[in-house]
Amino acid sequence: MADIQPPAEEIRALVGYEFPGGKYTVAHWENFLLTECTGSEPLPDALVHPVVLFHMPILGANTSIGGMFALGQAESDFSIGIESYDWEIERPLHEDVEYTVTGRVTEADRMEGPRRHDRPGVYDRIQFRFELHEPEGEFAASSTITWTYRRSAA
Amino acid sequence: MNVQVGDSIPEWVMESVRPERMRTMAAILRDPNPVHWDRKAVAALPFGLGERTINQGPLGLSYILNMLMDWAGPTSVRRITMRFPKVVLDDDYITARGTVTAIREENGERLADCDVWLAREGETPSLEGTAIVVLPES
Repeated sequence: MADIQPPAEEIRALVGYEFPGGKYTVAHWENFLLTECTGSEPLPDALVHPVVLFHMPILGANTSIGGMFALGQAESDFSIGIESYDWEIERPLHEDVEYTVTGRVTEADRMEGPRRHDRPGVYDRIQFRFELHEPEGEFAASSTITWTYRRSAA
Repeated sequence: MNVQVGDSIPEWVMESVRPERMRTMAAILRDPNPVHWDRKAVAALPFGLGERTINQGPLGLSYILNMLMDWAGPTSVRRITMRFPKVVLDDDYITARGTVTAIREENGERLADCDVWLAREGETPSLEGTAIVVLPES
């Protein structure tokens, strides 16, 4: 993890960065455990619980939560805050379907002031957008993640 | 499905947010952040949260998804946008709630725009946002 505040221009230059991309198939066991964590019964017809739209796009794009922390030069795991998650589901997701996943950074900027319910200070706001397509190429879903990376004083 | 603007969505309750579910979730997500599985790491933070692990944001969001799917069906959610003003902690009793703010037709479907939130009793929301839900015909 970074121990000094990165230059603001390095953060802004992240806009347009693309993750390698790849494929992701949700197995029954993964969907079962994931759904159980939500407190729900399994969904019918091999439907994948939509909460999968957090981690599936990240892993399918061949990155990771830790990788996204590192890309934004997070000072520590504790320095990350969630601004928002925005999930669109055009076509319901199913188990054992191989989805094609792409992901990129869509916004990145240095901010100053209080994050929501946080101490005032300097932070970087980075937005990632991931898209899932079915094997035939139809758009299925998207996930837009906006995180804040708190910075210590330079 | 007879739905009117101003209707409340039947609430969905998580009676106790369980730390073992956070640990399973952390493994599935490959989430390295110890705030989800190490109570002492949370207690060491300068936020006064005590020795209670912090629920993953997507898990809190999933309670709202469960409310919407129980109400309108398992393929009904078209979009959900959430902000996270406060954390949810292990052992919290927390309730998902929502109201219908608009009903409209789009591409032959009847859509409900909803305000949705997740909150401990008597407190301001831990999660708040909006959702678009396809309403079933019958």
